[in-house]
Amino acid sequence: MNPPEEDQAPNVASQGVTLVRESASPRDHLGGEILTVNFGPQHPSTHGVLRLIVDLDGERVMGVKPVIGYLHTGIEKQMEALRWQQGVVCTDRHDYLSPPINNLAYALAVEQLLGIEAPPRAKVLRVIMSELTRISSHLVWFATSGLELGCQGIFFYCMRERDFILGMNEEISGYRMHTSYIRPGGVMADATPRFLDMLADLIEKMPGHIDEYEDLLTHNPIWIARTKNIGRLPAELAVELGASGPVLRAAGVAWDLRKDRPYSGYEEYDFDVVTAQDADCYARYLVRVGELRQSVRILAQALKKLPGGPFNVDDRKVLPPPREELETSMEAVIHHFKLFTEGYSPPAGDIYQAVESGRGENGCYIVSDGTHKPRRVHFRSASFVHLQALERMAMRQMVADLIAIIGTADTVLGDVDR
Amino acid sequence: MTTDQLSLPEWVEAEGVVAGQHWIQVPRERIRETLTHLKSQGFGSFCMMTAVDHLVTPVAEPGPERFELVYQLRNMSTHTEVRIRVFVPESDPAVPSVHDIFGPANWDERETWDMFGISFGDHPDLTRILMPEDWVGHPLRRDFPVGGEPVDFSEDHETWQTAPEEA
Amino acid sequence: MGVEQLYDLLGENVLTTTIGKLVGWGRANSVWPAQFGLACCAIEMMHTVAPGMDIARFGSEAFRASPRQSDLMIVAGRVSQKMAPVLRQIYDQMPEPKWVISMGACASTGGVFNNYAILQGVDKVVPVDVYVPGCPPRPEDLINALMILQEKIKAQGIKPLI
Repeated sequence: MNPPEEDQAPNVASQGVTLVRESASPRDHLGGEILTVNFGPQHPSTHGVLRLIVDLDGERVMGVKPVIGYLHTGIEKQMEALRWQQGVVCTDRHDYLSPPINNLAYALAVEQLLGIEAPPRAKVLRVIMSELTRISSHLVWFATSGLELGCQGIFFYCMRERDFILGMNEEISGYRMHTSYIRPGGVMADATPRFLDMLADLIEKMPGHIDEYEDLLTHNPIWIARTKNIGRLPAELAVELGASGPVLRAAGVAWDLRKDRPYSGYEEYDFDVVTAQDADCYARYLVRVGELRQSVRILAQALKKLPGGPFNVDDRKVLPPPREELETSMEAVIHHFKLFTEGYSPPAGDIYQAVESGRGENGCYIVSDGTHKPRRVHFRSASFVHLQALERMAMRQMVADLIAIIGTADTVLGDVDR
Repeated sequence: MTTDQLSLPEWVEAEGVVAGQHWIQVPRERIRETLTHLKSQGFGSFCMMTAVDHLVTPVAEPGPERFELVYQLRNMSTHTEVRIRVFVPESDPAVPSVHDIFGPANWDERETWDMFGISFGDHPDLTRILMPEDWVGHPLRRDFPVGGEPVDFSEDHETWQTAPEEA
Repeated sequence: MGVEQLYDLLGENVLTTTIGKLVGWGRANSVWPAQFGLACCAIEMMHTVAPGMDIARFGSEAFRASPRQSDLMIVAGRVSQKMAPVLRQIYDQMPEPKWVISMGACASTGGVFNNYAILQGVDKVVPVDVYVPGCPPRPEDLINALMILQEKIKAQGIKPLI
């Protein structure tokens, strides 16, 4: 680790106490050494199996080295062994807090290679699922960050709402979490009337719930003391280090893939890109609260404009025919057979598709060689990039602030390690 | 999104568009100059970097070399992206590192080394990042087996079957 | 003359049986899990702690951060090659009596990921008491597993687990 450079004057000087020497670190006149501490992979506050090797000068962090790979699942290799339509199942599981958004990146990439486009109803349903997922992912963020910094109450409030949203997932797809709902060609199933009722209920009640969370945290002096001026990542540094999502928007850069590189019909919705100016942990918290409100706004618009029509593209070479047709049409049987034994083969080429997840830019890069299995699937992970920026955010902060900083970077280790 | 205003350096070997996405191919010795040139043109955001293994299989067309490195850059003011491809031979899988031009390339290069065995000159810490340090082999190469266990079906095991009266 | 022979001699003694039942009841109704959430199953495990399902009703009031203070390890999520030695070390650090619930398909058998990177079942590394299928299992599945484990613990009584 690099030796500490010249220290700034400690805060105590501003309170009128004269020091023996100016710009002295306690280590200079007390002796001692840099202590290397292991935040092991099993730790309650590292948001998953992240290992940090931290160099400490007393309580001050002098260096952080994240060691990852404890959740490496070989998803990219696994997808090379599965057919294109089977790969959707694996895309759910790398960023496990936002499965439909990962599905969407993969589905959009495959659709571009195949040269097909999802019908309008499917696009709106995709937006609904993406925004629901963004809300539920941010709720987990509120719950765990609050819990780590001492606010245990918000965990219970957020999980209550998240249970409701997972119930909606279950209503529309049968699964609470890994829905595999968004697939190349459209979506898995149509929205049931009960799902639409639950959605209307959520849109009505969610702003009140967000006010509850804000009551607990936004003006809470403990929360402010633990997150204000902690972990600053100013705008130029954030762009240089590849940050995206709330980490970038909290530095004042109004970059949101939904507005700047829109997909799945996002250009038709009216919503704001929430930014903050301070680039610290508190700013990232404010950005996420704002995003919750904007997501509810998008959901209200999507519910109103949900068009009728098919929820899948009508291309029998990509999606199987409805089961009733198998009794009457020979062609339908052949299509069904071909799809479920061999699967479709997109033409050779490569596509990079990025979508805006709760963490930032999650991208899917696929390479097809013209066969029914991918040659290469790579996931660009926002958490992977943010972990690299961790050392710059945490340098010279207290070790307890390190927890707050990892929390606000909102890393999901499944996404980092894939 | 098109990149018609992009001024390409003279050492670009090939270029094309796939489904609206623009790509250029450069020789591996020129990757640093290419990225610096594009960064000065406004492509200051590093999206991702990865590698593809074009090991010849009976069904797939071979690429010019075995490994292909792919870099994706974005221009945040014009909202355009460009992909840079570099072909790397199997006999000498080495490429200059670009971690000082684009910060996020640091861990991407470590991951590419870990998964493919492509080494990056001047990288400050080229060690395994996802696999254990003592792992042998590079998992994402096509000749590395997927691994795992064969799935045991009960019809292959006489003793697992329940007799009809007990079922 | 060892303790085991003493146990057998006192085996028919009604008092010992009642103490065994008491100890079993006490252990079963205050199982404290260690926080060992690895991946997606960990999020569903968080939902069992949440007010909707509330695992605290069943005695698991506190999920201890330190394995030294816990009796149950719920392996929630996929175990990779790099994580397997850590898993074993955490298991070894837990004091007796201890139990393991393997939560989810990945922990039980490797799940969706039959490849080089994932351990095909944590029972290759630690002894498992209850397996919970699902990807991820519902919170009610996990509570059901805990209830099955509680029956097992009550049946074990006072005998130490070796």
